[in-house]
Amino acid sequence: MKNTKKIAAGTLAAVMAAGMVGCGGQSGTGSNGQVNLTFQIWDVGQRDGMQAMCDAYTAKNPNVKIEVQVTSWNEYWTKLEAAATSQKMPDIFWMHTNEILKYADNGMLADVSDIVETDKFSDISLSNAQGSDGKLYGVPKDKDVICLAYNKELFDQAGVAYPDENWTWDDLVTASQTIYDATGKYGYMAYADDQLGYWNFVYQNGGYILNDDKTKAGFTQPATAEAMEFYINLQKNDWCPDQTYFAEQAPGAAFLSGQGAMYLEGTWNFLPMLQNNPELNGKLAVAALPKAPSPASGDGRATISNGLCYATAANNKNMDVVKDVLKFFGSEEGQRIQGESGAAIPAYNGLEQTWVDAFKDYDIDVSICIPMFEYGVQSVNNASRPEWKTKVSDELLKIYSGQVELQQGLQNMQDIVDQASAK
Amino acid sequence: MTIKKSSSNILTYVVLGAGAILMLFPFVWMVLTAFKSNFEAMQIPPTILPSQWNLDAFKKAMDSLPFANLYINTALLIFFRIICAVVFSSMAGYGFAKLAFPGKNLLFGIVLIQMMLPSQIFIIPQYQMLASMGLTNTIFALVFPGLVSAFGTFFLRQAYLGIPDEISEAAYLDGCNTWQAFVKVMFPLTTAASAALAVFTAVFAYGDLMWPLIANTDLTMMTLASGLSTLNGQFTTNFPVLMAGSLLAMAPMLVLYMIFQRQFIEGVAMTGGK
Amino acid sequence: MKNKQRGNNMMWGYIMVGPTILGLLILNIYPFIDTIRLSLSATKAFGAYEFVGLQNYMDMFASTEFWKATWNSIWFCVLTVPVGVFLALLLAILLNANIKGKSIFRTIYFLPMVVAPAAVAMVWKWMFNAEFGIINSLLGTRIKWITDPSIVLFTCAVVSVWSSVGYDAILLLSGIQNISKSYYEAASLDGAGPIKQFFTITIPMVSPTLFVVLIMRLMASLKVYDLIYMMVDQSNPALTDAQSLMYLFYRESFIAGNKGYASAIVIWTVLLIGVVTAIQFIGQKKWVNYEV
Repeated sequence: MKNTKKIAAGTLAAVMAAGMVGCGGQSGTGSNGQVNLTFQIWDVGQRDGMQAMCDAYTAKNPNVKIEVQVTSWNEYWTKLEAAATSQKMPDIFWMHTNEILKYADNGMLADVSDIVETDKFSDISLSNAQGSDGKLYGVPKDKDVICLAYNKELFDQAGVAYPDENWTWDDLVTASQTIYDATGKYGYMAYADDQLGYWNFVYQNGGYILNDDKTKAGFTQPATAEAMEFYINLQKNDWCPDQTYFAEQAPGAAFLSGQGAMYLEGTWNFLPMLQNNPELNGKLAVAALPKAPSPASGDGRATISNGLCYATAANNKNMDVVKDVLKFFGSEEGQRIQGESGAAIPAYNGLEQTWVDAFKDYDIDVSICIPMFEYGVQSVNNASRPEWKTKVSDELLKIYSGQVELQQGLQNMQDIVDQASAK
Repeated sequence: MTIKKSSSNILTYVVLGAGAILMLFPFVWMVLTAFKSNFEAMQIPPTILPSQWNLDAFKKAMDSLPFANLYINTALLIFFRIICAVVFSSMAGYGFAKLAFPGKNLLFGIVLIQMMLPSQIFIIPQYQMLASMGLTNTIFALVFPGLVSAFGTFFLRQAYLGIPDEISEAAYLDGCNTWQAFVKVMFPLTTAASAALAVFTAVFAYGDLMWPLIANTDLTMMTLASGLSTLNGQFTTNFPVLMAGSLLAMAPMLVLYMIFQRQFIEGVAMTGGK
Repeated sequence: MKNKQRGNNMMWGYIMVGPTILGLLILNIYPFIDTIRLSLSATKAFGAYEFVGLQNYMDMFASTEFWKATWNSIWFCVLTVPVGVFLALLLAILLNANIKGKSIFRTIYFLPMVVAPAAVAMVWKWMFNAEFGIINSLLGTRIKWITDPSIVLFTCAVVSVWSSVGYDAILLLSGIQNISKSYYEAASLDGAGPIKQFFTITIPMVSPTLFVVLIMRLMASLKVYDLIYMMVDQSNPALTDAQSLMYLFYRESFIAGNKGYASAIVIWTVLLIGVVTAIQFIGQKKWVNYEV
């Protein structure tokens, strides 16, 4: 037993020692001027692209080392908040529109307005990186739109013409019915998601989720309510699976197994889908979103356009080096490397083709996505979005399951957002 | 007598066998799924055997995670947690069961309260302590919340309560002091309970998810559980890859468990006739 | 002499329990006190807060979602603990029988222990999938195991019992094997059959272990989170019918960022566990036997 105790004490000491030399969460500066930076992201599919970008920077700046760390989406925000609360954020990290206002408005992020080439990015890209005060708290990374993904094989089997940019909601419904009758497979899979679902329909119809100054929701506006009603009622058709179905497999998974012909997908997902599922090559095709047939305002076109940015902590100790790296990430060269990796469309204007070219090994034309940016709508957010997001989606599911009437449910959603936004 | 015995044996076999099938089936399905392509896995109705046994899912899982690091980190985590739990809990369990001192009930109350607290509430404060020491992304970070064990203390206290006082009194009469009586006489009598605690500690250290995810962000410093969760985040509905990852995570544990279990059962048997 | 030994004992008492108590105070009790403070505060992001008295508790008691989660936690306990502990005891007794190949059975039943809960949830979720899952396919049914509000908690309970039964059986088996053979021999001489022996010897002798297992399972079930979190996604319409108190805590604290309100939920959960545990400790005097 004495020995055991000795071993225990010895091992504890060893652990402690290992801890001392271990690399902490934040950067360190070595004795020879070497700077070690950490770079945290949530998408493993983009790791190689991010690494290539870092390598290009470190090749020119050999005194800097950048380590790319990946955490899955679900844990990313828990982790980042814990790190922020302890003032130990990674040196560079991805920021999402859902969360940026929370971090920026609470002074967690460094103002990087001085290193962003603002004339090279679209207004949406810039507003995705802004805090409520209008300053830039991130360097725009990429941009995306939501498209209609469809299965060519099922369309061919049912003898339905492929969707084109003139399609309206009515065409979507008709084609779904025809495909279901002919093949027994689902048509359009209407998922209760916001960005990948009803938001697009609401804005196409001339409605809105949040008003322009982001203080009030628009769920009870007639155009919004009409679009919501249309979207929610899609589930009542035989050709659309209900939400319990999607709870077990997202529309993308059902699409992959050939169980459904159409769903909404973001541009960031097309390349990883093809890479991970070679069977999809030749089947998967992309079209613009169908238009609202009789919008309250506008021409019936809209797609939710989002984008990530690179950010750093307001209290970063190596601010000069980090800003230099960020500047490179936002430069044409850095953005081109990202685009060529194929994971996402560079935010930098004029580099869209690099992303389209990344699909050259596959039988798919994604160039249709690029003109959609012209009618893109910025992904909906305000500072209290993290608070109302889950509550709104819970409420929506209650409408779907019939626990709450549509009008009442929309009113509840309106109240949830208004109350949260008023704080 | 022999007929009665053999018929009851048959019943035992039938019940154990039926249960064993229920226990094994998920593993069989894990293996069968791991060798299918994602496309094949999502067919209606499902195929039982893969039409083609392919290793793609394993390749993808291994490309995404540094399994060698995950194995080592998990092994070290389990090792240190067991040492801490057994040493400190034996001491405290003995103290609470056999020694009298003022405030004992109050202090034991702390142990009971900890057991009632859901571990999620510790995560942020413990992370802040760890971060302020600059020790995130280390093996120590993984071990940190398990330096002491309230459950272990509670469990071993029960074990020491089961040992008659006469035994330690006999040790005192032989001239042992309290520490010597504990180390030389009492501790060896709880081998089975300590082994059970070691297993418990290992199981929970191995399965612990939230803490390793928060404490160690670097993929090479993760454990098997947090690595699997990262895999889940990447391949949400690609079940062959998830199953292959789970199998890879299980494999070395399975081997260790086979070896360990024999010793464990012998340890239990050894104390059977005390 | 006696006094000296008592003083000695006192000092040793503190030395023996010292490391554990110190560790618990730092690692667990301080965070708990902090949680109490938070439950009385309106929290903003990144640790900022403002004292609001009992507001969070009032909001909580007025919330149907909260009461539903409380009910779900209790119901989950009812579904898992009695069945799980009974099966574990049965298993331990069968595994203690003198039959060939029992070490193989032991190995099989304890298998779930070597699988991380994350992997357990993954494979079960996959098997229970209503569309592509093997279970519906084998049974020829179309049951929505995970998305039907009236079934989802049963499904989670099945997985929970499957994962824990082997471990509980290990604990009980070690208790059973600690029973001296001489008791049974004496009882046999008195003409007691196996069933009588089971109730007069096995149960009383194994009762301290049984008590530990019961307490452990009750606490774990009331605190259940991981399993339901991994089986039931946030997009699942049956979420409110499966959401346990700690799942609700997780969503309020880590996703919605309502740390104050979430802390009130934790305090409630702790009180609930405290009451259940107290009942157990009072009840144990009636059936747990420490005389060996």
